[in-house]
Amino acid sequence: MIENFIDGVMQALLPTHLLAIAGLGLQTGQGGRPRFALVAFAFGLLVGACALTFALRDPPAALVVLGIAAASGLLVAVALPLPVLTAALFAFAVGTALSLNAPPQAITLHGALAFQAGTILAAFALFAVVAFIAARAREPWQRIGVRIVGSWIAASAILVLTLRLTR
Amino acid sequence: MRNTARTALFIAMLLAAGPALAHTGEGTGGFIAGLKHPLLGPDHLAAMVAVGLWGAFLGVPAIWLLPVVFPLVMAFGGVLGILGVPLPAVETGIASSAVVLGLMIALAARPPLWIAAVLVGAFAIFHGYAHGKELPDGANAVAYSAGFVIATGLLHLTGIAFGLLTRWPAGKFAVRMAGGAIAAVGAAYLIVP
Repeated sequence: MIENFIDGVMQALLPTHLLAIAGLGLQTGQGGRPRFALVAFAFGLLVGACALTFALRDPPAALVVLGIAAASGLLVAVALPLPVLTAALFAFAVGTALSLNAPPQAITLHGALAFQAGTILAAFALFAVVAFIAARAREPWQRIGVRIVGSWIAASAILVLTLRLTR
Repeated sequence: MRNTARTALFIAMLLAAGPALAHTGEGTGGFIAGLKHPLLGPDHLAAMVAVGLWGAFLGVPAIWLLPVVFPLVMAFGGVLGILGVPLPAVETGIASSAVVLGLMIALAARPPLWIAAVLVGAFAIFHGYAHGKELPDGANAVAYSAGFVIATGLLHLTGIAFGLLTRWPAGKFAVRMAGGAIAAVGAAYLIVP
């Protein structure tokens, strides 16, 4: 059980997922009101996990995750906060796609549930920490730092998205 | 007459440029491989530091605008590389970026911000193209691209940190000398195949 949980945590730490979580976290934190996005993200993670239990695995989920990572990074780089509802929709989409892109690798039901719990908890904790840090960035140099990291996320996501779509 | 001779020499150097050491065609994946990639080619490394140095030299808002613009435009160049869109003289463009940016710093050039952004952006396309061509396929692509984008950004920040010395007269001199050294590194890559 513990091993399955740890495997689930590691799934949230995959580079593709990290990019999306960091981009989304910075984007919502930069807007200054991450509360709705946090709830929407958690809801999306649960919806994706439930969809997986019904064997509704969505093959292009990785592309959605990368696409939203690229969009979030671009928005952070140009310092364009989204309206609260749009940001929440973004967060819901990333949460759902992330769960769909992290199918349990356990055979037993308990193992699969532990795996999904690990993914959901790790992804949510990471998202909350990044959003909190970005929301607390008030000094000009801190805001510039957030924008620079946003441009890195966008650049990485755009490159890999192109690679995935073309090869 | 002397200007004509200089121009002829510069063109001859451009035509004689060989491949930059950072872009050897190896396609190994992983975060560390991506992180090391921009550090292994002195011409690429010098140009990245030059972007940060010049940004610091130009002051606000260039000091933060250039490091934000560069990765985004570099990604565009990377997309061209992945798609296989032909781009001539890529390695020459990379070496030239070190020469031009180094000279801008050495000569303390302060063009309007949009000119600086266009110049840096144009060179970013060459750097991105070379990276995009060598982006490994498969699961390591994300880690690899994140690695080289972060390394590039950290080189910019290194340049900015060094460039902050321009607040003092001796520091300004040191930064201009560094610009000259960067231009020399770029010129060496244009001359030596």
